[in-house]
Amino acid sequence: MGALELNLQDLAAQTLEGMKRAGFEHAQVTAVHGKLDELGIAHNEPSLLRSTESHKLMLLGIAGGRMASTELSQVDREAVQARIASLYKDAQSAPQDEANAVSSGQHARIVQGPQQGDRELLAAKVKELLAFRAGETPRMMLEEGSCSHQWQRWHTLTTGGSDLAASIGCYSLSAIGAAREGSKSSSYNFTGGSADELASQPAQAYFGLADMMRESERQIDTQPIGGKFLGDVVFTPGAVSDLLGWFLGQLGDTQLISGSSLYQGSVGEVIASPLLTIRSRFDAPGVAAISGDAFAAPPVTLLEQGTLRALTPTLYGSRKTGLKHVPVAGGWDVVAGRTPLSEVIGGVQRGAIVGRLSMGNPAANGNFSGVIKNSFRIDGGAIGPALSETMIAGNMAQMLKDVVAISREQIDGGAQRLPWIRIANLHFS
Amino acid sequence: MTYLETRRHELRKRRLLMVDGNLTLNSQTLDSGASARAWDAGYWGFASTNDASAAGVERMTQQARGNARAMGRFGRKDALTLPEGTYRGEHAFKGKAAIGQDECVARMAELSAWCKQRYPDLKSTRVLFGDEHHSKWLTTSTGSEVLNSIQRALCYVTFTAIGADGAPVEIMHVVSGKGSLADLDLSPAALERELDDVHRHVRAKCEAVAARGGQHTVVLAPELAGMLAHEAMGHPCEADLVLGGAVTRDLVGQRVGSDLVTMIDVAHTFGGEEVMIPVYADDEGMPARDAMLIDKGILTEFMNSRETAAKLGIRPTGSARAYAPSDEPLVRMRNTVIVPGQSKLEDMIAGVDEGYFLMKTGNGQADSTTEFMFGVSLAYEIKDGKLGRAIRDTTISGSAIKVLQSVDAVSDDIYWNCSGYCGKKQPMVVSMGGPALRAQAHIGGE
Repeated sequence: MGALELNLQDLAAQTLEGMKRAGFEHAQVTAVHGKLDELGIAHNEPSLLRSTESHKLMLLGIAGGRMASTELSQVDREAVQARIASLYKDAQSAPQDEANAVSSGQHARIVQGPQQGDRELLAAKVKELLAFRAGETPRMMLEEGSCSHQWQRWHTLTTGGSDLAASIGCYSLSAIGAAREGSKSSSYNFTGGSADELASQPAQAYFGLADMMRESERQIDTQPIGGKFLGDVVFTPGAVSDLLGWFLGQLGDTQLISGSSLYQGSVGEVIASPLLTIRSRFDAPGVAAISGDAFAAPPVTLLEQGTLRALTPTLYGSRKTGLKHVPVAGGWDVVAGRTPLSEVIGGVQRGAIVGRLSMGNPAANGNFSGVIKNSFRIDGGAIGPALSETMIAGNMAQMLKDVVAISREQIDGGAQRLPWIRIANLHFS
Repeated sequence: MTYLETRRHELRKRRLLMVDGNLTLNSQTLDSGASARAWDAGYWGFASTNDASAAGVERMTQQARGNARAMGRFGRKDALTLPEGTYRGEHAFKGKAAIGQDECVARMAELSAWCKQRYPDLKSTRVLFGDEHHSKWLTTSTGSEVLNSIQRALCYVTFTAIGADGAPVEIMHVVSGKGSLADLDLSPAALERELDDVHRHVRAKCEAVAARGGQHTVVLAPELAGMLAHEAMGHPCEADLVLGGAVTRDLVGQRVGSDLVTMIDVAHTFGGEEVMIPVYADDEGMPARDAMLIDKGILTEFMNSRETAAKLGIRPTGSARAYAPSDEPLVRMRNTVIVPGQSKLEDMIAGVDEGYFLMKTGNGQADSTTEFMFGVSLAYEIKDGKLGRAIRDTTISGSAIKVLQSVDAVSDDIYWNCSGYCGKKQPMVVSMGGPALRAQAHIGGE
């Protein structure tokens, strides 16, 4: 396939020229080439070796203040020319919007992570994980899992002179399943993540896999929490991820443009516990410090000891709202605290350690209720039985304020590095 | 036995998002390619490329075979004979001629402006239009030659108001159907009554009270019953999850619901009409048939693929589907429905002394234990058989078996929806449907 041998910079440049010829005054083109080798596990056995290769073009064009975008996986000249012509028509159908713009003057060259996958390593990690399961947690049924190497390189050019390129490789390892004994089963449990290497430790030592499998076995026998009360929770990193996702959503374009973000005018204000700091980690495994709107993304602190330091509108969102443009990529670090995990848990008089929060989308005002899964009761600082049919209710924004302890331990999943967090005053039922 | 399938696959998607008249997303994408999957000595090999030419297919075939052979490093497996099953046919929805992006934008702008004028008290209105068209040309070593073409379209209208406490309050309304955006009537005239209702509900929600957490009598509107079907017992009846430890494995032939509950994963036709996501043969070329998951309360069978049918020794249902050109087929639901009963919704509400009427949902999750949950974005109190105050966003959960066994009324109407994605390694387009149900369930709250 000739396209695969194409120089991505040349492909992006030719396409950008084509867009200018078609009448676009401003344009952004990204040419992408990716490969994946994935060794899959199904039902405690190696099952599938999957190899994919892909290439695509991502185009965004603006003509007369009207914008349209597209992605296409056919990158031969005829297909691209045809799509540029139809993209111009798409743009013409859009309303004029002075906020539409593309990046200018940006430059980056990033090469990160393993550029070549090692299939022998993938096989070795799958064997290790399955051996650990069989030997240490035989009641854990791995319904699905995988060990993979992903590699993607891309080149972005804009009519504003931005020229950004990256070549990012990483390994990923994940598992999902439930522990089973007789007719009883734990809830599904899962973990996984990405790393630049998987060779230095046994497979189960990455991303909390061993703990996840051991805890699942302890979750076969469960009890309801019994009664309604106001208590504390210790969110594990998996549950902290949900809280982080909600918070990041509040800082982004859709909420800011519609004016429904709870933090629209809060930069510089205290919105969370002073224990809480959230920083970028744009050099994390599998991540490149380049934003989706083609800006180099320097490190940023979103939340510093409880004070909101930045919102994250894109260039468009910034021009639409008048807020400062803050380009972001995909890696985040909820900064570790100073309290040992045992003390984070030990400080809970009545509540639960929450492995996963199974819930609907929180309401616009942050209210939520959800079933706590893969969770254990805590009484008097001691971890008790695993829980079933237990719900908690509260408010996301209030939870950020009610953080009372953060562990010094973290789990590094690549794009997210997260600690355990104790939060006060959730409604249990 | 060896088995081989090759698939040429096109996935076209369109998304437009208008936030208060601002078109923030105006996108069309095309992902196309070819893949091959080979089964050899108990292992699978898969390969995909964006090159869908004959040479690309041949190259992927060799690579998939090589990948399957390479799995031999893990040792010999017991020989498993995959079930035979052949289908030849082409199925494509013949809807209206597609409309261009210009027409879509014009319709969105009209709807957005109409909402702004009609509901001036709202803080914000978001309108999302989308459609997607999946075309898969499949060939298998069992002799199947299939074109599966599935189209669906959707519109989300989200109203945001400011609640009594000064915080935003939202409700999203969904319109979905088979075909492209051309096949949905999204004019203000067509949506007026529905959007007036949504506006009335969002005003009521501005004064909402917290639900009382705990076990309650709930009436689930038809819009929610499909979600219950999908999350509560749909996922635990997928054969790969059964093999992975779901408790349903030991429950075939046992009672998991009241006599009033019958639940089917429909392949392509229900009540004499083609359903929203019709699957005549799956992406393994297996002829698709309905899976009767629960028959009058009794758990009956599981949805499966060729491999999982062989492992469990059960009759194939043709439920293996792949989302994107680079995806391998997995066991997926198609059109999961709870069959309507004979009650009237208003009588079901009138029969509740104290409880909740749950009207809209956003998302949900299943579990191996059959404990499910889904979010509830619109609900009202029921007191002495009458609707009372709106309640804040909440979550419903419980053991699906306990909830379905507690069902004491099923309405005689049905609501279908195909707007969401089912998530399970890959996303997937599915539809879900059902009548109103009355049951006992756990509500999250204070």
